[in-house]
Amino acid sequence: MRLQVTFKSGKPVYLQLVDQVKAAAASGQVRPGDPLPGIRPLAEELRVNRNTVAKAYAELESQGVVTTEAGRGCFIANGTAPYRKDVRLKLLTEEIDQAVVQAHHLRVGRTELLRLVSERHDLFEARRDRSSNG
Amino acid sequence: MPTDTAAIEIVDLARRFGRTDAVDGLSLRVEPGRCYGFFGRNGAGKTTTIKCLLNLLRPTRGTVRIFGLDPARDEVAAKSKLAYVPDMVAFYPWMTVRQTLAYCASFREKWNHDTERSLLDRFRLDPTQKTSHLSKGQRTQVALITAICPEPELLVLDEPTSGLDPIVRREFIETVIGAYQDADPGRRTVFVSTHLISEFEGLIDTFTIIDAGREVLTLDADVARERYQKVYARFAGDAPAIDLPGERVRRSGRDLEVVVRDNAARVVDRLRALSPDTLSTEALSLEEIYVTALSPAPAGAAA
Repeated sequence: MRLQVTFKSGKPVYLQLVDQVKAAAASGQVRPGDPLPGIRPLAEELRVNRNTVAKAYAELESQGVVTTEAGRGCFIANGTAPYRKDVRLKLLTEEIDQAVVQAHHLRVGRTELLRLVSERHDLFEARRDRSSNG
Repeated sequence: MPTDTAAIEIVDLARRFGRTDAVDGLSLRVEPGRCYGFFGRNGAGKTTTIKCLLNLLRPTRGTVRIFGLDPARDEVAAKSKLAYVPDMVAFYPWMTVRQTLAYCASFREKWNHDTERSLLDRFRLDPTQKTSHLSKGQRTQVALITAICPEPELLVLDEPTSGLDPIVRREFIETVIGAYQDADPGRRTVFVSTHLISEFEGLIDTFTIIDAGREVLTLDADVARERYQKVYARFAGDAPAIDLPGERVRRSGRDLEVVVRDNAARVVDRLRALSPDTLSTEALSLEEIYVTALSPAPAGAAA
């Protein structure tokens, strides 16, 4: 998993790290049990504040994406979600609303939007399958 | 809101030299465990402020506290909590690197010998060399070792990397992140004054820009990059004139560029209504924010 940050996106650096780890887990680039880089080496490599990396890892833990083992570091969790299903759906709804708004402004209609969602979903699934076979 | 004692608290600080107010009513607060950037042009009052923190200068007015301590009244207690790396580092020229480190360690309650060894290795410094034979970069490296080994709660850096080669600068910053911040990061505070803002960008949590001894802008770095945005639009024909009071607008052929200090969405909506071919936004870097904050108010042409 290659983590990188940019100061050009206007998105807080810790959130960039959170989203990259989540994307890597969703696409099978990292699998349950895989370790995350240590906080200090990653902070040094990216030349960001150690607290920024620590904040990202804490956020990932609170979202149930990783688990922390005292003295050993952080590991990708094995897919047990921390929230009830209705809460999870509500969180996702907020993200989908954003995509629906964007689609409206980009003049992408309902059918095309749904086809695209389905395509992307298949793509991530295929990547996950490939990495668990390979 | 914060309940901890601030690592640094400056209230209405002023320092006058003759008829010049080098610092003129500056206030700022640095929370423990944060990395605080202190930016300003040459002569803006940065070093004067730092010298007041270190009791090298007495304030003309106002108060300065380090972990609640007055650096003039409780000098030893205040100084035992901090370490300082200046722009120009001077050591006794007849001492070797090892003697210099032992000399500095003798003033300190704590001294981490493992850190000393690993940093001497990392910087490839020869402990038997006389400090008078060291390059500027090597002197800064020795100064950084003397600052980090006592494990101070506050590290004050005044233009620490200016005039150093890029490799030494990179190692310097990695050492601050790694060796300094590693143990007990909640109690490792950095206060750094620098012109090389882009090099420290990832490290800075919060910053203050000062000019003529006064605060111009204080923001969290993440908030600043969210607020200060550059909006680009490209049109099919010549870029239309657009009236955006207070914003820096640059038109060049089909291109339009607007530097926004807040609320980029409003500008994006206005531009979208003009049906551009492309429309995108980009956050300003801290260095660009610094330049924007210190530039005179916009008058048509932008920097």
